[in-house]
Amino acid sequence: MKDLKHLIYFENLLQEANNELVQQAKKDGLRAIGYTCYFMPEVLLDLPGCFSVRLRAPRCTSPDIATYYMSARVCHYARSLMERALEGGFNFLDAQMATETCTATCRFQEHLQQKHLDSVDDMRIIDNDDFFCEFSDVPFKNNEISYEHYATQLRAHVLQPLHDHFGIDISDEAIRKAVEQQNEVSRLINEIGDYRKLDNPTITGYEFHVIQLCSLVCPKYLILPYLRETAEEMKTREPDMKKEFRCKVVLAGSENDDPDFTKLVESCGARVVVDRYCYGAVESRQIIDLPEGVDPVYAIAKHYLHSSNCPRFMPQDEMRARKKRIAELAKEYHADGVIIASNKFCEYWSYERVIDTVILKRDFGLPVCSIEKEYINTASGQLRTRFQAFVESVEIKKIQEGK
Amino acid sequence: MAKMSISKALKDFWYGKPHTAEEGGRRLGDLHEDKTHLYKHREWRGVADTMYYFYNIWLYNYIFMVKDIMVMHGPITFAKGLWRYRWVGQTYLPVLHWFDRGLEGMRGEAMKASAWHYRAMVSTTIRQFQRMFAADTRLHGGKQNDLYKHTIAHNETVWGGVFYPWDGEITNVPLEMIPYFVTCHVNSHTVLNYIDAVQSIGLPGDPCPMCQAESGIFVLDDVPDYAPAVITCNEACDASVSTSTLQDWFFDKPLFSLPMPMLFDDPLVKKYVMREIEELWKFVEQQYGIPFSWEKLTKKLELQNELQRFEWEKWEVAAKSDYYPVNGVAQALYRIYQTQYGDWEIWHVTDKKVRKILEKCVSKKINSFPQTRHRVIAWSCAPLYYSNWCTWAYNCWGLNVIINMDSLMFDMEIRTDSYEHTLEDMAQYHMWAPMRRMAVGGMHHMFELWDYMKRFNCDMVAMYDQLQCKGVQGLHGLFEDEFRKRDIKAFWIPHALPDSRTVSRAEIRRLINDYMSTVMHEEPLDPSLLDFDDSMTW
Amino acid sequence: MNKICKFFVKLLGILFVVNAALFAVFFFDLDGKLLFNVVEPFLKKHYDNMERKDTLKAPYEIDKFPKYDFNS
Repeated sequence: MKDLKHLIYFENLLQEANNELVQQAKKDGLRAIGYTCYFMPEVLLDLPGCFSVRLRAPRCTSPDIATYYMSARVCHYARSLMERALEGGFNFLDAQMATETCTATCRFQEHLQQKHLDSVDDMRIIDNDDFFCEFSDVPFKNNEISYEHYATQLRAHVLQPLHDHFGIDISDEAIRKAVEQQNEVSRLINEIGDYRKLDNPTITGYEFHVIQLCSLVCPKYLILPYLRETAEEMKTREPDMKKEFRCKVVLAGSENDDPDFTKLVESCGARVVVDRYCYGAVESRQIIDLPEGVDPVYAIAKHYLHSSNCPRFMPQDEMRARKKRIAELAKEYHADGVIIASNKFCEYWSYERVIDTVILKRDFGLPVCSIEKEYINTASGQLRTRFQAFVESVEIKKIQEGK
Repeated sequence: MAKMSISKALKDFWYGKPHTAEEGGRRLGDLHEDKTHLYKHREWRGVADTMYYFYNIWLYNYIFMVKDIMVMHGPITFAKGLWRYRWVGQTYLPVLHWFDRGLEGMRGEAMKASAWHYRAMVSTTIRQFQRMFAADTRLHGGKQNDLYKHTIAHNETVWGGVFYPWDGEITNVPLEMIPYFVTCHVNSHTVLNYIDAVQSIGLPGDPCPMCQAESGIFVLDDVPDYAPAVITCNEACDASVSTSTLQDWFFDKPLFSLPMPMLFDDPLVKKYVMREIEELWKFVEQQYGIPFSWEKLTKKLELQNELQRFEWEKWEVAAKSDYYPVNGVAQALYRIYQTQYGDWEIWHVTDKKVRKILEKCVSKKINSFPQTRHRVIAWSCAPLYYSNWCTWAYNCWGLNVIINMDSLMFDMEIRTDSYEHTLEDMAQYHMWAPMRRMAVGGMHHMFELWDYMKRFNCDMVAMYDQLQCKGVQGLHGLFEDEFRKRDIKAFWIPHALPDSRTVSRAEIRRLINDYMSTVMHEEPLDPSLLDFDDSMTW
Repeated sequence: MNKICKFFVKLLGILFVVNAALFAVFFFDLDGKLLFNVVEPFLKKHYDNMERKDTLKAPYEIDKFPKYDFNS
C-alpha cells in the first residue's frame, strides 16, 4: 500500500509526551491536563482553554529511580511514567486528573500530588508552580447510583478545580462544545478504523494504532486537520494486490501504547483489526450522545461507565458480558482469532486473560493466543515465536474448516 | 557448686528457666527437632505455668474443639467435611501447634490472655466451617436444605456487619476466611495447593498471592456449596476485583458486588457507599425473601461497639504502660478476625476473661514482657505463614510488638441514634476494610504510622514488605526516605502473604538478626533462636 | 464403705494414670508427632488422590444473571 501522507509525522508526535502539537497548544495559552486512564473522561479535559494529554513514556526501558520509589514489582508502565516525570518529561503539565482505577498508576499519580502534610515530604516531581493533581473516585459498577456518583465526582474533582485554578469555562455550553469536538475526532477515527473490516483492509493495525494514539496525546483542535486529511486519503487508498497477512486478529488486553508491539504482531503474519485494550479505539472513540435536556455531565458519566469493557467492572452481568463483546468484535471485524496480552504485574488483566483464554475458545470457538508482555517489549524474539506459532495454528484451523 | 546447681535446677523447675543467656537461659531453640520443628519436648515453663498450659490451654482447647463440633452440627457433619475438603483436614488438626508457635516462651498473664484470644478464634472457625458443611449440598447428595437456604456467602473482606439486619435468620459465612485465610496461620502447607492450582490454569505468579489462593480454592474445586447467593467486593486491590470474576465463573450463583472506594476521605464517596449498602440490603431481601430489620441491626451494632470500647481500653494500657498482657500475634489475629467477621458471642466471653487479666496486670503492675528492649509497631500487611514472627522476635531479641496496622484499621464506633448516622458510619467502616485503609488506600494513610508510633510509645518499626502488593510496593522508596529523614529504626520484613516459598521463615529471621546485630549492635537474649531449620514446619 | 473407698481410690488411680499419660502426650508432643508423621501424610494422600471435577469445564452462561440495579 502507498504510505499514508502523515504517518511519519504521526510517528514523530509519539516520540515525546511534550510533542510539537502540545508545545504549540501551550504557546496558544492552553493548559495541558494529563491523565492515564480511560475512566478520566478526556472530553472534560478538552474544554475550551485546556487540552488533554494521555500520558505515555515512550522509549523508557530502564526506570531506575522510579524503581527505587515504586520497587521492581510494580507494572512497568506506571514506573516508566514515574521515571519520565522524574526526568522532567511531564513538566509541561498544568494538572493531572487522576483516578485510582488501578493501583500502580494510582501510586504514580499520588507521587505527583502535593499533599502538604507533616507525615510525608512532597516530591515536587512536576516542576511547574501551577501544577496540581486531583483524584476522582470511579465506580466499579454501571448502575444508576454509579452514574450519579461519577457525575458528582467529575463535577467536584475535575470541572470545579479546572475552573478554580485556570478559570476554565465549565458551563453546559462549553461541555457540549467539547463533546462536539471529541465526537468529530471519534467519527474520523472510526471512519479510518472501519477500513479494517474490509476483506483486505486498506489500513494496517500499526498505522491505526499510531493514529489513534495521536488522537489521545495531542490537542484535539490541532490534530483534527491531520485526521480529516487522513480520512480523506483513506477513501482512495488501494490495498496491496496480494494480502500481506495470513490471518486477522483482535488484539485485546491491558495498557498498550506501543505501536511497535502491534507492528511485531503484524510482522508475524497477523493483521490487527481490533484494538480492544487500554488506549484502543473500541471504547474511547464511541460517539458520546448528549440528548437535549439531559445534564451533560451526567450523560458523559453514563457514557464512560456504559462504554467501558474494563475488567475492573464488578457487576455480575458485566463480568460475563464483556467476554461476549470480544467475540462480537471478532465477528464484526472478521477476525480469525484473538490475542490477549496482559502487561506484567497488571492484576486485572492477568485474571481476565486466563478466563478469556478458556471462554473465548471453548464457548465462542475463537483461537486465542495468551501472552504476558512488558510495557516496552525488549523480549521481542520470544513473542515473535509465540505469534508465529499462533498464526500457523489459525491457518491450520482455517484449512481444516475448508476456508 | 553442686549445691548451686541443685538450687538452680529446683528454681528452674519451680519457676521455669530464665529468659536470657546471661542468666543461664532457657534456650528455646534447643527444644525443637530439626526441619519439622516439632518439639523434642514441650517447654517447661515452671510448675504453675506448665500446668496452666497443659490443663487450661492444651487440654482445655482439645476438649472444647470436640465440644464445639458436637454442639455445632455434630461429628458426622465434621467427618464428612474433613474427608471432602483438604483445608479442614490438613489444617485444623494441628491447631494446638499453632497455639504453641504463638505462645512460645510466654509466661504468666501474657500466656493466659493471649491463649484466650486463640481460643476465641478456634471456636469461631469451627462454628463457620461446621455451618458450611451442614449447609453444603455436596455433603448432602445435592440437596438444598434449610440451612443452605438461610446462609449467605461473601468475600472475606466484606464486613459481616452488613448482614446484622438478618441476625438469627440468615447466617453469613465468608467464602475464604476459613478455607484460606485461617489455614495459612495454622498450617502453611495447605494453601500452596491452591496457589499452584490457579497458576496451573495460566495465571502468572505476580498477582497478590492472597487473591491467587482465594481463586485457587475454586480451581481445585474445594469450596463447599453452602449458600444460594454471594456478596463480593473489590477489597483490597485490583487482584481482588479479578478474583471475584474467577469466583463468579466457578460458583455460578447470583452475585452482588459491593464497591469499596479508596478515596474514603471524600464525603461524596461516603454518600455513594451508603446507597450501595442499601442496594445490598435490597439484594438480600430479594434473594432470601426475609425483610430487613432495623432493630436487629442496631442491637448487633451496639454489641459490636462494646467490643470496640474494650479494644480502646486495651490500647490505652498497651500505649501507656508496660502491663499489657497480650502478645503481638494474638493482638493482631484476634483483632482482625473480630473486626472483620463482626459481632459474635465468643468475642464478648473472651473479652470478659481478658479484661480480668488486664485489670490484674494493671492493678498489680505486672510486666508481662519484662525483657522488652524495643517497643515495636508492625506496619502494613503481615506474613500469614509467619504471623508468630513477633513471638520469636521477643524471645530472641526482646522486640515487643505492641501494636500493628491490622489492629488499627477499624478505629471507630458506629452510631445507632438514627438511620442516617448508622448508615454513614457503616459506610465508613466498610471502606476502612482490612488493608484498604492503610495499605492500598490513600498514600497519606500509610504515613499515619508516625502518629501511631507516637501514640503507642514505640521506638522501632517492623515494616512488612508484601512483595506482591502493588499498593505497598509503590511506596517503598518514600518510606525509605522518611525513615532516614526521621532517624527511625526500622527493619523490613519481605514476604508473600500466604506463600512461604517466596521468602522463607528462616530468611525473615536472618534479616531481623542482621538488622539487630549490624545496625543495632545488640546481642540476642536467646542465641539458640538465631538460626534454626524449620523449613518443613506447619 | 470399703467398696466405695476402693472405688474412689481406683477412680483416682485411673484419673492419675490418664492424667499422667495425657501429660506425657503433651510434654513430649506426641500429638504433634502423630499428626505430622501419620495423620497429615495419610490425609494428604487422600486429598491428592481425590477425584475432582475439572473446573475449567464449568459453564459460563453470559446472560444467566440479571443486572442488580434496584434504583433504576
